[in-house]
Amino acid sequence: MRTQKTKLQIDWIRVGGLCLIAFGFAVTLVVAQKIDNPALAPPPVITPAEKAAIQTFETEVKEYVTLRNKVREQAPKLSNNATPEQINAYRKTLEDAMRAARKNARRGDVFKPQVADYIRRTLKTEFQGKDRKDIRDIVFETELQGVVLRVNYPYAQSAELSEMPATLLSKLPQLPKEVRYRFVGRNMLLVDRESNVIIDYMPDALP
Amino acid sequence: MRRYRSIHFLVIAFIVASFLSSTLAQTLNNSAANSSSAASPVKLALPLKEGSLRFAVVGDTGSGTQKQRDVGEMMVKYHAAFPFEFVLMMGDNLYGSESPRDFETKFSEPYKKLLDDKVKFYATLGNHDLPLQVNYQNFNMNGKEYYRFKKGSVAFYSLNSNYMDKKQVEWLESELSKDTSDWKVCFFHHPPYSSAKKHGSDNQLREVVEPIFVKYGVDVVLSGHDHVYERIKPQQGIYYFVSGAGGQLRAGDVKPSPFVEKAYDSDMHFMLFEVVGDQMYFQTISRTGETVDSGVIARRKK
Repeated sequence: MRTQKTKLQIDWIRVGGLCLIAFGFAVTLVVAQKIDNPALAPPPVITPAEKAAIQTFETEVKEYVTLRNKVREQAPKLSNNATPEQINAYRKTLEDAMRAARKNARRGDVFKPQVADYIRRTLKTEFQGKDRKDIRDIVFETELQGVVLRVNYPYAQSAELSEMPATLLSKLPQLPKEVRYRFVGRNMLLVDRESNVIIDYMPDALP
Repeated sequence: MRRYRSIHFLVIAFIVASFLSSTLAQTLNNSAANSSSAASPVKLALPLKEGSLRFAVVGDTGSGTQKQRDVGEMMVKYHAAFPFEFVLMMGDNLYGSESPRDFETKFSEPYKKLLDDKVKFYATLGNHDLPLQVNYQNFNMNGKEYYRFKKGSVAFYSLNSNYMDKKQVEWLESELSKDTSDWKVCFFHHPPYSSAKKHGSDNQLREVVEPIFVKYGVDVVLSGHDHVYERIKPQQGIYYFVSGAGGQLRAGDVKPSPFVEKAYDSDMHFMLFEVVGDQMYFQTISRTGETVDSGVIARRKK
């Protein structure tokens, strides 16, 4: 009788254990699904020096955005129902006003050496390996005729824009919506989303 | 003498009258032939059911060439027979410069008759498009690089595949997770699957968006970028189309691939869709009016 009771207890323990394992498995699956997406991956682990470099970079970008938005307030508003003439006038006004407001801007003002080194290292890691061929193809297939790299001047309208691989974007310092990363050959650019003006660029960013 | 003169006059009058009547007959014949050739290409392979949702798809349009206009004119002819409500644009809406004149020659002139008929265009951004296109009144993007709109039982998601950052991925996942629409259609420029030699499948984009599409039951994915037409074999239950030859063509660019069901790369094209309950019918039409593909998609069980 006692043996039978003990056996029953063991069976229940087994069932409980199995349930616990199944529950654990389900939770792992859900969590894994949530964070499995490479575009939603957490930022890479960084050293204190890298953290400081990124913070400086983010401050520079923030200062640019503050200035840009101040300048933008003085430009005529662009509605979501604009004509081509209004779009053209808005882009030109923003471009000219920003050039005047940043007349002393130089290459390296935002991509300072420390953050540039960090970005180069990150890109090197991301571009290495046979499985990264797709990323290399995407970046280097862009046709770039007419692109002149010059801070405070717009990216040529006639040139195509390189697709920024989603898996790469999640590894780089995050940017506010007004500013974009872009590749031109091996160079990395920081571009104003609306005016298309090159805010800064770093040569030889890609390995 | 006077009699001879009269005969001469009558002969000359007869010759002139014959010449004029034959010229007139020829002109009338030609015009009849032209009008019959203009009407003949429309061969609808869609059910045209009352109350159905109808739309067109066209990609990589903004070249401003005569061939883009030809496609536009063929769309007008089909619109007369199959009144579609709106057009989805797959990006590369304006190649090269984007001056006000370019908006006319590369968009509003080729599609003038459709615009006059109140057909709405919903655009997405390609790798040749400046972001401020989102503010253009006729692209109906409402100032947004990625957006959702709903027509009948179908939810449409326009994504910016040039810049698929964390914010956009989170937005897409959040919107899809609460979307109870019968049909979910996503459209963006870069194709997750393509067998074209020039670009081919955008694997890194697919790695990011496909798990989300599968998880939330997206039915159809439309894209452009490769200047050809391709219908991909369903991948994890999702139907993928490449429609990137509305204004540019890369003839002979398709290479044989196990995942391609149907491909066409010898002329430009556009697509028509009709949604009837749980069925989505499609027809792909070349610049000259030839039907190059057609079929029906059954809605996924969710």
